[in-house]
Amino acid sequence: MRRPLAGARAVGLGLGVALIVSPGLGTAQEPGPTPGEALPVVERTLENGMRIVVLPRPGAPTVAFVVRYAVGGVHEHLGTTGIAHLLEHMLFKGTTTVGTRDVEAERALFGLMDAAHDTLLRARARRDSATVARLDERIAALEDSARVHVVGNEFDRILTRAGAQGLNATTTNEATIYFVELPANRTQLWFVLEADRMANPVFREFYSERDVVTEERRMRVETSPGGLLYEQHLAAAYTVHPYGVPVVGYMSDLETLSRADVADYYRRFYGPANAVVTIVGDVDPDQVFGWARTYLGTQPRGEEPPPVLAVEPPQRGERRIEVVWDAEPQVRIGWHTPDIFHEDAPALTLLSTLLSGGRTSRLYQRLVVEDRLATEVFTSSGPGVEHAQLFAIDATPRAPHTTREVEAAVYDELRRLAEHGPTEAEMERVRNRAEAGSVRRLQSNVGLAFQLSESASLFGDWRETFRLSARLGAVTADDVRRVVRRYFTDVNRTVATLVTEGGS
Amino acid sequence: MSARSGLRKWRPGGTAVLAGALVLVGATAPDASAQAVGRAAAEALEVPPLRFDPPEPELHEVRGVPVLFLADPGLPLVSVFARFQGGYGRLGREAYAAGTALPTLLRYGGTTTLAPDSLDALLEYFAIQTSFGGGGESVFASVNTLTEHLDTALTLWGSMMREPGWDARQLEVWRGSEVERVRRRGDDPARLAYSEFNRLLYGDHPVGWEMSLDDLRPDDVSAARMASVHGRIVCPGNLTLGATGDVTWEDIAPLLDRMLAEWPACGEPLPPSPEPRILRQPGVWIIPRDLEQSVIVMAHPTDVHLADEPEYYAAQIGNSILGGGGFSSRILSRVRTEEGYAYSASSLWTTPRRFDGIVGAITRTRPENTVPAIRLILEILDDARHTPPDDEEVGTAVDQIVNGFVFNFDSPGQIVARRMFYLAQDLPADWLERYLAGVQAVTPESIRSVFADHLRPDGMSILIVGDPDRIGADDLASLGPVTVLDVDGTPAGSR
Repeated sequence: MRRPLAGARAVGLGLGVALIVSPGLGTAQEPGPTPGEALPVVERTLENGMRIVVLPRPGAPTVAFVVRYAVGGVHEHLGTTGIAHLLEHMLFKGTTTVGTRDVEAERALFGLMDAAHDTLLRARARRDSATVARLDERIAALEDSARVHVVGNEFDRILTRAGAQGLNATTTNEATIYFVELPANRTQLWFVLEADRMANPVFREFYSERDVVTEERRMRVETSPGGLLYEQHLAAAYTVHPYGVPVVGYMSDLETLSRADVADYYRRFYGPANAVVTIVGDVDPDQVFGWARTYLGTQPRGEEPPPVLAVEPPQRGERRIEVVWDAEPQVRIGWHTPDIFHEDAPALTLLSTLLSGGRTSRLYQRLVVEDRLATEVFTSSGPGVEHAQLFAIDATPRAPHTTREVEAAVYDELRRLAEHGPTEAEMERVRNRAEAGSVRRLQSNVGLAFQLSESASLFGDWRETFRLSARLGAVTADDVRRVVRRYFTDVNRTVATLVTEGGS
Repeated sequence: MSARSGLRKWRPGGTAVLAGALVLVGATAPDASAQAVGRAAAEALEVPPLRFDPPEPELHEVRGVPVLFLADPGLPLVSVFARFQGGYGRLGREAYAAGTALPTLLRYGGTTTLAPDSLDALLEYFAIQTSFGGGGESVFASVNTLTEHLDTALTLWGSMMREPGWDARQLEVWRGSEVERVRRRGDDPARLAYSEFNRLLYGDHPVGWEMSLDDLRPDDVSAARMASVHGRIVCPGNLTLGATGDVTWEDIAPLLDRMLAEWPACGEPLPPSPEPRILRQPGVWIIPRDLEQSVIVMAHPTDVHLADEPEYYAAQIGNSILGGGGFSSRILSRVRTEEGYAYSASSLWTTPRRFDGIVGAITRTRPENTVPAIRLILEILDDARHTPPDDEEVGTAVDQIVNGFVFNFDSPGQIVARRMFYLAQDLPADWLERYLAGVQAVTPESIRSVFADHLRPDGMSILIVGDPDRIGADDLASLGPVTVLDVDGTPAGSR
């Protein structure tokens, strides 16, 4: 972290850690050990390869649980896109004992449904709509028959009755993350249910849940101008790498995914060696590791997931696309940048704050306040972190100004940065912002659990998240200027605009 | 699980309970040798007691302003919260734009002595975080700072609230953005549906107002108009303060006293909040849009109010069972899990403290499933009026609140903010404990009764944003008289 200057002091966090805060002006320093690394985190790896990260914290008797499987959209292939996300939904459907009155009776019906579904797909391929309609009804009827044996949403209900907060999951390009908070006296219950879900999942109510996911896609993409623009922009920017494919999946793929596809995906990618369990809150680490060994240590190791080796080739010229939609214009501009492990990643992170972090940022001042060309502007990097990213600038033009005028102003600001670099005062502002943020992030159990979990999974070390924060403090104005020159070129750019039919 | 019977034995007793150890469920230590997983293992678990001394904020008064204070030496940070009782809803439509702009301009419009840029530079230099927000009924603000800069933070934050600068450029940025927002209100079908629904039900009441270009003339947000609205809302007579963090009362009290000392008293008193006259007219209103998914909102008025009354608690638990309780609730179970009609589906039941609220449901589904989904929801609502929920449903809804009670004390900021809300709503300091006792007294029959008295599936005003051709005109008409609306909410062809 940066050298503490006048006004800085060391303070106790109540976590056995000295935290040094230094919001005064200063110059960039080489990173050293960070206070976050001294958090009393305990990590163990079970014999089956599952990693358990525990951070005991004082305060209210609550505990946050995060299970992160290192699998997501990038592990999918055309034809089965959306499978990681559908599986995320299916893991709330229960197990051989949770969510059922008679699992064998259910399974007997699964076979009939799945056979009908295979036949339906062949009928759809030969455009036999009458057979498709008949088989759709048959599958719905069989699912209704199976429902007689189902105890609906029982997994959710058990945890809800225990006082669970925020029970949910999310699927990204590189990870599928399950999370919940519970009163501390329900910690063992979490192990009992999570171990059961890992060992004995049953993908019941499969076809109706697949319909739910298609409705989610309609909501997030097909009836959302911003969602549509985002999806089309990535598709244009990535021609080879799976980052160009939406995590939620294409509609035609969602409509063909089978229960067997999902089961196979689960078997391949949800092994203990691919999982990190993070527990933060009012817990005794020894007791937690005892439960982890008892409940999670018996899971079979599973397969090693195949690596993602696709590499997006260098872009050889600007790409421009339009998305026609009944809405006012928006523009999204992206440049290919490296992954987060790259040495330029900290400078790109600071650049993002410098361009759009708050009202004093360059793009906000120029586009919104001075020229009044836009009402909003923000930057982001994505759609994942482990592979070469896209640094994107999204802006909403203010009528009567056009997306072209907005683009011109953005490019002008980038040109100024490439020529002159940021001022030292600007650098200090964004460093201070990053540093204060790193203190404030320590306030929430669930926020810390996410942070530790991602760090342990991505970097193999829970401490790395804190080192990254410190590395931001070492970025210089020249570093920022260098990355702008290197990546923000015309040929490396993909621009997507939202237009109305016949308009521009 | 044995949790519930144990929990029901615990009865809070106001501050005496809060001051003592909170013990939920007596049981033995966990058996680490157990390896069984699944339902039976979950049911067999003994739940150890949960011991906790919930911190209780102190109530002080500084220059007549109530201040809730809770020390929290965990991190070197201090947060201070301000809540002003009053908003544009008390001042009439002519103050709508200025009242809506007020929080943004307090944050970004500078002060009488600091230009916006200078203020931002200072806030960033000291890494001070501020936030400002509000609505028709209240304005709120907060500041979060490293402890060592508390004095500076309160000086700046106090000045932002007390002596705003109404910077002309920032006023114009706000007005321009709002004009653009008006132009774009049809872009997001959900936003369009919810705002049109409020307008349909509440009419010319602040809840039903939707910003229009007529509200946004330059004079509507002139510095003079802003100052006039500010002087009646953001003033000590309307203020409640809260403070928490790495500071003692002895250290922060003089700083708060200094902040309040130079603050002028409120101007002309605010008139009372207008009483809504909520539309009670069954029927279907559709805004035609060529969409792959319809947005559906339905509701009618009810007169269940936030109060320490059995009916209020029954409505709370009833709503949780109906569609407010997530996956365990009936609407989500039937509409999503069983039928696969929707990703999201829920009930809504608003219970304001003094005025009537609304009860109904919200979902989104593909055009062809629009009418079937509406019919299913109406069927679920109708069933609730006649058949009491079973013990499992009531148990789930009550246990969720009782066992999750500890999360009400998850952070000192949350504890202080909640007590500030109680003061503003004229609720007793032990409201949370009363609430806990109230929901535990709810019975299946009391829920059926509150539904029978207050839920009218045949009285729903149903608004849809979607494609009428694919939804089916005849099917729509079968739900009630259909009115086609333009995007701006006027009946089509009436202009």
